[in-house]
Amino acid sequence: MSGAGNGKSDGHLITVDKVNKHFGAAHVLRDVCTHFEAGKVTVILGASGSGKSTLLRMLNRLEKHDSGRIVVDGIEVDDNVKHLDSLRAEVGMVFQQFNLFPHLTVLENVTLAPRRVRKTDKAKADVRAMELLDRVGLKAHALKHPFQLSGGQQQRVAIARALAMEPRVILFDEPTSALDPEMVKEVLDVMKGLAATGMTMIVVTHEMGFARDVSDRVLFLDKGCIAADAPPQEFFGAQSNERIRAFLGQIAQH
Amino acid sequence: MASAATSVWPASWNRQQRSSATMITASIVLVLVLWLLAIPMAWAPEPIGNNAQAYAEGTRVTMALTIISALAGVLIGVLAALGKTSKVPPLRWIASTYIWIIRGTPLLVQILFVYFALPALVPWLRLSDFASACLALSFNVGAYNAEAIRAGLLAVPRGQMEAARSLGLSSWYTFIDVTFPQAFKISLPPLVNNVVALLKDSSLAYAIGVVELTNIGNRIQAATFQPVPTLLTSAVLYLVLTTMLTQISNAVERRYDVEGKLA
Repeated sequence: MSGAGNGKSDGHLITVDKVNKHFGAAHVLRDVCTHFEAGKVTVILGASGSGKSTLLRMLNRLEKHDSGRIVVDGIEVDDNVKHLDSLRAEVGMVFQQFNLFPHLTVLENVTLAPRRVRKTDKAKADVRAMELLDRVGLKAHALKHPFQLSGGQQQRVAIARALAMEPRVILFDEPTSALDPEMVKEVLDVMKGLAATGMTMIVVTHEMGFARDVSDRVLFLDKGCIAADAPPQEFFGAQSNERIRAFLGQIAQH
Repeated sequence: MASAATSVWPASWNRQQRSSATMITASIVLVLVLWLLAIPMAWAPEPIGNNAQAYAEGTRVTMALTIISALAGVLIGVLAALGKTSKVPPLRWIASTYIWIIRGTPLLVQILFVYFALPALVPWLRLSDFASACLALSFNVGAYNAEAIRAGLLAVPRGQMEAARSLGLSSWYTFIDVTFPQAFKISLPPLVNNVVALLKDSSLAYAIGVVELTNIGNRIQAATFQPVPTLLTSAVLYLVLTTMLTQISNAVERRYDVEGKLA
């Protein structure tokens, strides 16, 4: 169900066409063109400042693009409030800093959007939320507040919260970067499970293991341009691009 | 003493339950005091005992001024804070001008203006002394509340708005479900200060003839030529009211302190 969609997306779930973005004098994205397909897991890699988070955040309009077009599931990404509301209901997002609502319980965090946006009644939303919390292994914590959970647990709640809206695609903005090392695995495991169900995922991350093992495709951004777009075997195999080799070398060192 | 009231409840109760109990108890005590004040006061020696009814009535008027103005003042404060943080320039100007004028002029002048000058400017707006005082006090405390609420709104992390919007919540639901509850919690201590100040400032309604606690104290003082007991009684009654207000608001603060940040 693609609210304002009219299906003019050439069969791609997301189309990004000649998109440019400036922050003041900095030209952070330059004529970026790409597509994202339904059911695929795409990992976006790149050095700090390469524009990868900006590209991700533009897909649900947390950042505005200066020029070019973005179409998600037939919905034009622009300032039209109708487009924005239907867009954001279809595109889930998981943040580096979790951004759970601290004044609400875990359960209320998960049910808020379905109740307000989808108008699901409380009982139904609660049942669905408990299923999702069970799926991320946190059923027992449903009535706690976010501050009572570890970082890894909070991020799993954030994933359940995004899933509750039954989005067409989930964007992950460095989901494990704010976590202690021992908690990274529990979040990655949930993400792997999600990928196995056929969820469309676009993931900005520095977890090379996840990119190699779980993704269908790796995008490498360099200075605002897509410098590589390849399946992971190819990307992590004999890499001819000098900058990518340097990047992978740096990541591998720690 | 003021902050320890929540510790009288059974240890097995959690923070929310103890806070709710304090809120309810203090509110009941407040109502009882206002309702039955004249009975214990009548036992006091002259000149208090024989004027107990008048003191009780003055206390009720002071409390009515405070509660009405506090509620209206929170509403005005929220609107002015939204205006001041608005993306629409004219709304920002209106809110800023309002706050600038109110905070830059004495409350006494504002009360006199509403009572005497407003009917001269707008003939159909002829309010009673009580209504005039409420209006002036509401707009006065509203301007101070606006700054407190604005600070609260600005203190809510940006990521909260982003998370809410990314879930598809409209800007209305983002505000009432996510931003406002967090901002209100942050604003609560300064809002409470404003209400306690309002309770005391309501004594300025005396100037336009509202028969509230200060007015009563002064009238009885003038009639009996006994300034010490009569004015002391007014002062003690104010102290009782502010203490109860602080208890209620401390409990409210604890009630919303889900993270246990308060000791």
